[in-house]
Amino acid sequence: MSLDPEPVPTVVDPVTPNVNVVAGERKQARRENFRLLIKRPGFVIGALVSLFWVVCAIFGDAITPYDPLNFRTTKHLKPFGKYIFGTDQSGRDIVSRVMAGARDVLIVAPPAAIFGVLAGTMLGLIMGYFGGWVDSVLSRVVDAFLALPVLLIALLALVTLGKSRVVVIIVVSILFAPVVSRTIRAAVLAERDLDYVTSARLRGEGSIFIMFREILPNVSGPIVVELTVRIGYAVFTIATLSFLGVGPPPPSPDWGAQVSDGYGVLSAGIWWPTIFPALAIATLVIAVNLMADAVQSVLEG
Amino acid sequence: MTDTPMSGASTATLNKPPAALEIIDLEVAYIVRGVPREVLRGVSFTVAPGEAFGLVSESGCGKSTSAYAALRYLPRNGRITGGKVMVDGDDITAMNTSQLQKFRATEASMVYQDPGQALNPSVRVGRQIIESFTLLGQNKSQAHESALKALHKVRIAAPESVMDRFPFQLSGGMQQRVVIAMALACDPKLLVLDEPTTGLDATVEAEVLDLVRTLRQESDAAILMIAHNLGIIRNMCDRVGVMYAGKIVEQGVCADVFDNPQHPYTVGLLRSLPRHGIRKTDRALATIPGILPLIGTTLPTCVYVDRCPIATDLCRTEVPPVVTIGDDPGRFTRCHYPDRVKDIPEDLAPVGISMLTQRADQPDVLELSHVSKTFRQRGHDIPALVDVELELGEGETLGIVGESGSGKSTLAKTMLGIEAADDGGQVSLDGHGLEGVAAKRSADDKRSMQMVFQNPDSALNRAWSVRRILVRSVRKLTGVGADEANKRVEALAAHLRLTPRHLDLKPRQLSGGLKQRVAIARAFAGDPRIVVCDEPTSALDVSVQAAILNLLADLQAQQKTSYVFITHDMGVVRYLADRIAVMYLGRIQEVGLTDDVFKGPHHPYTEALLSAVPNVDGEEKVRIRLDGEIPTPANPPSGCVFHPRCPRVIMGVCDVTEPALLEVAPNHSMRCHIPVEELRVLQNIE
Repeated sequence: MSLDPEPVPTVVDPVTPNVNVVAGERKQARRENFRLLIKRPGFVIGALVSLFWVVCAIFGDAITPYDPLNFRTTKHLKPFGKYIFGTDQSGRDIVSRVMAGARDVLIVAPPAAIFGVLAGTMLGLIMGYFGGWVDSVLSRVVDAFLALPVLLIALLALVTLGKSRVVVIIVVSILFAPVVSRTIRAAVLAERDLDYVTSARLRGEGSIFIMFREILPNVSGPIVVELTVRIGYAVFTIATLSFLGVGPPPPSPDWGAQVSDGYGVLSAGIWWPTIFPALAIATLVIAVNLMADAVQSVLEG
Repeated sequence: MTDTPMSGASTATLNKPPAALEIIDLEVAYIVRGVPREVLRGVSFTVAPGEAFGLVSESGCGKSTSAYAALRYLPRNGRITGGKVMVDGDDITAMNTSQLQKFRATEASMVYQDPGQALNPSVRVGRQIIESFTLLGQNKSQAHESALKALHKVRIAAPESVMDRFPFQLSGGMQQRVVIAMALACDPKLLVLDEPTTGLDATVEAEVLDLVRTLRQESDAAILMIAHNLGIIRNMCDRVGVMYAGKIVEQGVCADVFDNPQHPYTVGLLRSLPRHGIRKTDRALATIPGILPLIGTTLPTCVYVDRCPIATDLCRTEVPPVVTIGDDPGRFTRCHYPDRVKDIPEDLAPVGISMLTQRADQPDVLELSHVSKTFRQRGHDIPALVDVELELGEGETLGIVGESGSGKSTLAKTMLGIEAADDGGQVSLDGHGLEGVAAKRSADDKRSMQMVFQNPDSALNRAWSVRRILVRSVRKLTGVGADEANKRVEALAAHLRLTPRHLDLKPRQLSGGLKQRVAIARAFAGDPRIVVCDEPTSALDVSVQAAILNLLADLQAQQKTSYVFITHDMGVVRYLADRIAVMYLGRIQEVGLTDDVFKGPHHPYTEALLSAVPNVDGEEKVRIRLDGEIPTPANPPSGCVFHPRCPRVIMGVCDVTEPALLEVAPNHSMRCHIPVEELRVLQNIE
C-alpha cells in the first residue's frame, strides 16, 4: 500500500454528518426499543409468569409450603382448604408438587430449544449459503422430517434409547432443527445475494468465514425469535412426553406425569390433581409465547 | 396548453380561476416511536389548472411527503399538523373518509415511481384498467370501450393484446403507460407524478416524458411532479419549487430558477452537477458542505444557514423573509441576501489529473480478448456478453454506458472473476492471463482488482464496524499482521477524509456518502491497479455524488489507478472517463475517447442515448426517439442487434448481417453498416 498518512485536508467535508448526533440517535433507538418491549403488557405478563416459574425451579422444595415428595396426609383432600390445591392420590400437597415440578420442565426445555435452534441455524446456513443441489437435497430431507409425527418419533426414540434427560434434550432438539432451519434458510437467502458477500469473495474469503462471520451476525434477529418461540414449544412437547409416560419416573413432581397420574380419577369428580399441573403447563407455554410475540414484533416491526 | 413554460403562470394570473391545487402553510409530521417528527414545515404553493409544477430537492427534504399530502394519502404514521390542502376549491384536510374516497376516485390521481408495484401482478392488465372505469359507474361494456380508448390515448399500439397480458409480461415503459392510462381514467383535475421515470432506462424515460408532454396538451389537469432530476423538471414543468428541510426555499418559473438561481441552496445544487460538458481536467465539482438537518430536529432560523457559504450573523438570528423577485408574486426566495447569491465564489480547484488524449501513451493494464459470457436458464442459452474486446491503460478511466440488459454489470463481473468467462475468452492483467473465477486467482491478482458497488447499504456488512471492514480487507489482501493493518487502515481512512470516530461506527450510522467512502476505502485497501465502479453514485444525491466523483478523481491522480466506470449517467461519464464504451445487448457498439464519442459521428444508439438525457441547461437539441422495447438477450434480433429500434436502419442489410466493430478513426471504433462519413452528414456534425 502506497497511501501515505497525509494530513487531513482542512476543507469542510460535505458528506460528514454530525457523528455524535447519529450515534446518540442509535443509542436512543435501542433504548426506545427496550422501552417499547416493556411497554407491551403481553411482554410484562409473560416475563413475570416465566420469572415465577424460574424461581420455583431454582429453589424447588426450599420454597414450597410442604415437601413435594415425602409429605403425606389424607389423600384427595379438596382444594382451597388447608391445602390450597388439595392433595393427590398419595396425600401429597399439590401446590408444593406443582411448584417443584417447574424444575423438571425448565431443566430440559430451554436446552432442548437452544440445541434445536443451534442445529437448525447450522443447517439453514448451509442450505441458504450453498444453494443449488446441496439446498435441494437437504431441503427434501427436511421436508421428509417435517412430515413425520413429532410425538410418535420422540416416543419411539425414547423407548429405544432410554428415558434419560439427555436423551429427551437430544431427541427434542433433533425434532426442532428442521423447522428452525427453514426460517434461517430464508433469512440467509436474502443475505447471500447482497454485495458484501460478493466483496468478501473478491478478497478471497472462504465459505466458512463468509457463513459464520459475515452472514450469521446479520440473521441474529430471526434466530432470537426462533429461540423464544421454540422454548414455548419445547415446554409443551416435554410435558406431553411425560404425560405419555416417558418423562422422569415417579415420584417425580413433573407436570406431565402429575396430569397423567391424576387423570384416572377425573371421572370420579376428583379434578384437582389434574387441572392444577395442567394449568401450570398452560401458563408457562402462554407466558413464553407472549414474550416471543413481543420480541418478534419489536425486532421485525 | 402549450409547451412554453410561461403560459401556465400567465393564464393563472390573468383569469384567476380557482387553483387546481393550493397548499397553504402545510405542516406534516411522522410519528416515530411515539414522537412526532416534523417533515414539512409550512409548505405553500399553488398549481393552476393545466399547469405543471415541479418540486425538486435532495432526498429527505419532504418532496414526496408533499406529493402524498396533496391527496391526503400519508403513511399510517403521518399526520397533517397544520395548514390546508385545497383541490379545486375544496379543502381536503377537512373531508371525512367517504368524501375523501370520492375525491380520490374522481378528482385526483397519482402515478408512482415503480409501475411494477402499482399494478396487481396476478390480475390481467385489461381487468385492472376496466376496474378503474367501473369504479366511476360505467357498466362492463362501456368500461371495456373506455379502457381501449385509454390505452390508445397513452400511445399503446395494440391495446387489445396488452389488455390480455399480465403486468410482468410488459416492459417497464409499457407498465408506466398503463399506470398513466389508469390515472387519467377519471379525467382528474390534479395529477401527481412521483418520480415517474426514476426506475426506467434513459431511452424509455424519454418516451414516457414525451407521452406526458403530449397528454398535457389534451387535458387541462394540473400536474404536480416530483423528481430529483433537475433536467426532468426543467423539461416538463412550467414552474418549480426547490425544497430544503421541509420548506420551499425558492420558487419560480423553471427557466428562471435554473438559469438565474436566487437561493444559495439552488446555486449549490446546480453547481454540483457535471454540466456543460465539463471534464475532470477542467475542475473539481462543487460540493455542498455539511449535511441536511435530521427530520424532526429544531431548525435554525434559516434552514440552510449551516451549509450556506454567505451566511452571516443575521441569518442565525432572524428568519429570512420571503423576497419576491421581479413582478411575479410566485417568484421568490427565502434568503436575507438574494443580491449576494450571484457572488458565491466558485471554489473550484482543478483536479491534478491529466486527461489521456492518446491511447498509445499508456501501457495496458487489463486486456479482454474474445470475452463472452453465456448464462443457462431453463435449458436456454442467454448470451449476456458477446465477443468483447477491450483494453484499459494505466491510470485510465474507461466509462461503460448502456441501458439495463446491455451487459455492463456482467462485463464487470467477468473481469473481476465473480462470473467466469466462456471458454475461448481471456482476461489478462499486466500481460498474464487470469483465472476465470476469483477464488482461483493468486492473492496478488485479487489484490490488483477490486470493486465499488452501486449500493453501499448492500456492499457493507451492517453487523461490522467500519474498522473491522477495512482491517479485514487490508489483512486479507496484503497479508500484513493486525497491528500493521490497523495502522494502514488509519492512514487509509485519513486519506479518504474519514475521521477516527467514523471507524468505530456501524455502516448504518453513516450517511450515504460516507458509506460510499468506506466502500471506496475498502476497494483501495490492497493498493489495487484496477477498481471497477458499478454505478457508484446513482444511489446518492447530487451534492454527495459530486464529492464522491472528486474523491475518485483525486485518488486516481495520486495513485494512477485505472477505473472501469459503469454508469447510465452521461454527464457523470463525460466528466470522469477518458474513454467510453457503449454497450447494447451484450455487444460493444462503439468505443472511443470521450470527446470523440460525445462529439460524433456517433453510433445511432449512442446518438439516441445522448439525446434522451433531459438537459438541465435548457439547450435545445434535436431529439432522436427510439421505438419499441429493448429486446431480451435470450432472443436477440437478427443481423445488427440494434436494427429493430434504429432510426437509421437500412433494411436488407442491417437485419441480415451483424456489422463488425471497425475502427472509424484513430482510437474510435463502431459497429455500424452506415459509413462514418454518411453518419457525419446525417448527424450534422462539422
